[in-house]
Amino acid sequence: MDLSNFDLPTFIRGATQEVFDTMLSMELSEQELTDFGDTSRIVGSVSLAGTASGTVNIHVSDSFACQITANMLGMELDEIESDDEVHDVIGELSNMIGGDLKSRLCDAGFPCELSIPSITSGKDFSIESKGWAVNETVCFQFEDHIALIEAYIKNGG
Amino acid sequence: MGLKILTVDDSKTIRMIVKKAFRPYDCQIIEGENGVEGLSLAAKEKPDLIILDITMPVMNGAEMLAKMKEEPELKDIPVIMLTAEAGKDNVMKIVQMGVKDYMVKPFKGEQLIDRVTKIMPLAEKKGDSPKEGESGSKYFNLDGDIQMLAVPAKILRPTIVEVETQLKPKLKEMTGGGIKKMILDLSKTKETNVSLIKLIVTVLDNCQISGVKVLTVASAALGKELKDFQETGNIPIHFSIDDAKAAF
Repeated sequence: MDLSNFDLPTFIRGATQEVFDTMLSMELSEQELTDFGDTSRIVGSVSLAGTASGTVNIHVSDSFACQITANMLGMELDEIESDDEVHDVIGELSNMIGGDLKSRLCDAGFPCELSIPSITSGKDFSIESKGWAVNETVCFQFEDHIALIEAYIKNGG
Repeated sequence: MGLKILTVDDSKTIRMIVKKAFRPYDCQIIEGENGVEGLSLAAKEKPDLIILDITMPVMNGAEMLAKMKEEPELKDIPVIMLTAEAGKDNVMKIVQMGVKDYMVKPFKGEQLIDRVTKIMPLAEKKGDSPKEGESGSKYFNLDGDIQMLAVPAKILRPTIVEVETQLKPKLKEMTGGGIKKMILDLSKTKETNVSLIKLIVTVLDNCQISGVKVLTVASAALGKELKDFQETGNIPIHFSIDDAKAAF
């Protein structure tokens, strides 16, 4: 199978919606791509390396990240103790979405390994990825929040 | 004496979800952040069960399990693996490692409890079973032979978690005591949201499994909104507690 035939758009949408639904009781709806402007945001990232390599980034605003954390841990917003808690939750979300993608790639004949998650936070920054065989960016909405998911894959070295 | 359960995961989030899942049960939860810590804790504490993540820094779950299998004192401790990867090869690999079971993330706390109870019995915490007026069971109230479940004006995710945590033990207690009727009282609830729909579905599903008949009470406005959802569109709505009681 050629990586260009890998149905990344379907897999990445399915994984994201399932993770948000199961872990957070949040039903996401897809919306047109938008950027965060100068809103402070958190990006959870995982990488894939092997016969296929790639990366998955999940961008959410700080306020959505707090809402996600509260839902994931079954607490109120004011019970969140530190940024570490929020970062850990966003990292875990990217791990689950990346883990699903990794499984799909392995099942399609592209064995690869998944990295542990990393977190980037701040505002007015961009993450540029080039030279990928297949990529997909999708924007989801939950109430007045958005989550931007980026996935890039290519043949491994 | 309760069970000793070791959860080994680099994610505090997952460890917290595991801890919350076991909160209603008589268990002591011990936490490790990676395979090295996990091995050391397993040797020291001799847990009854280990819930082990695969992908971790320092030493991953597969390495920790392999080392456990080399230790006569640790090799028979049942292990449930947690993995974010549901791929065939990964699942095969996990099964071959000699684990009792595995769970693919994302998962809910109650799914984990279901898996654990297939391996070993879990006892409810003594003195922690729902009593009227106590925190965590504040939504439940027994009215004659009818169990009332009254939920607040706004349903948020924490409400669902709280109700879900208490629901199964409560249903067990009800059926054990011959109580087979429940009223889901939504009369205070003002806002229809996804959490509310999920809560209703959870309550109805669990009651059906337990053989408990449940009737729903809601305001006319809320009842009308619930009719618009596929999940709740066919649920008969009663507009007062008395109506629901009479319908039993």
